Amino acid sequence: MAVRLIEVRERVMARNDEIAAQVRRLLAEHDIIAFNLVSSPGAGKTTLLERTLAELGEPLDIAVVTGDVQTQNDADRLAAHTTRIVSAVVTGGACHLDALQVLTALEAMDLARTRLLFIENVGNLVCPANWDLGEQEKIVFFSVTEGEDKPLKYPKMFQNAKHVVMTKEDLLRHVPFDLDLAVRNALQVNPTLEFFHLSALTGKGLGEWFDFLRQSVRPLMAA
Amino acid sequence: MSVAMEIARIAEVKLGDASPRLTTVAVEVGDDAGVEPWSLEFCLEAVFATPPFMGAKPQILRCAGDVLQVAWLEVDDGCPAD
Repeated sequence: MAVRLIEVRERVMARNDEIAAQVRRLLAEHDIIAFNLVSSPGAGKTTLLERTLAELGEPLDIAVVTGDVQTQNDADRLAAHTTRIVSAVVTGGACHLDALQVLTALEAMDLARTRLLFIENVGNLVCPANWDLGEQEKIVFFSVTEGEDKPLKYPKMFQNAKHVVMTKEDLLRHVPFDLDLAVRNALQVNPTLEFFHLSALTGKGLGEWFDFLRQSVRPLMAA
Repeated sequence: MSVAMEIARIAEVKLGDASPRLTTVAVEVGDDAGVEPWSLEFCLEAVFATPPFMGAKPQILRCAGDVLQVAWLEVDDGCPAD
């Protein structure tokens, strides 16, 4: 038996990072802000996007890429709230989106008519943390029906984010969730995190969220 | 699992059409890579339980920093040793 070693020395994320850089260049050329929305399954990403598209879809020229392991249910839900493009990516088993999937989705979009792009990642707090999609920033959704220690269990996701959206706060009176502890845990992992506190169901906190989105887009529109 | 699948893709590209039998894949995992070594090893074993790399073994090499890279591949050419 002739056994030999082949030296590789290749970063595991090298190919994805190259494509993510392509995505970032493409978005910059068209003055598009892109947010990568990440969370565990069922944290409320789609519901908040529904409210966001209904309110700001047209004025902010929002487009959405949604990723799901199976079904395009989320894309169908979102498309009901906007005439703007909602692109569904069915990953077919993969637990995250990758940059090539986003680049492919962008190629089918009218980028000249897009100012703000949401990438709704597959619900998963592990793998999406490692995969750069070319976004401007990751936004973590964290619902009050989860454990307060999620940031400690999945630190990389919170380290890579700039904002945390605390969701389903209308349920706080029904669940034994210590909101202050959850925020402290997140800040322990990443002291620079900023928080939104909202309920997409009741509308609590949506104003601050919408203002943040308007301010994210406005400088580019002015330019 | 996605990292394990990407490692398998890198190995497949590196070996090309020649396709010698892959016996070991060595992966350097830094302490700050955001990847649990034992978890990655488990996933690699699952990936290597199916073709085209059935029977290959992962070897995790711990190191400092945020390194996450395929270090080397060990292959068996199927020829008698010199």
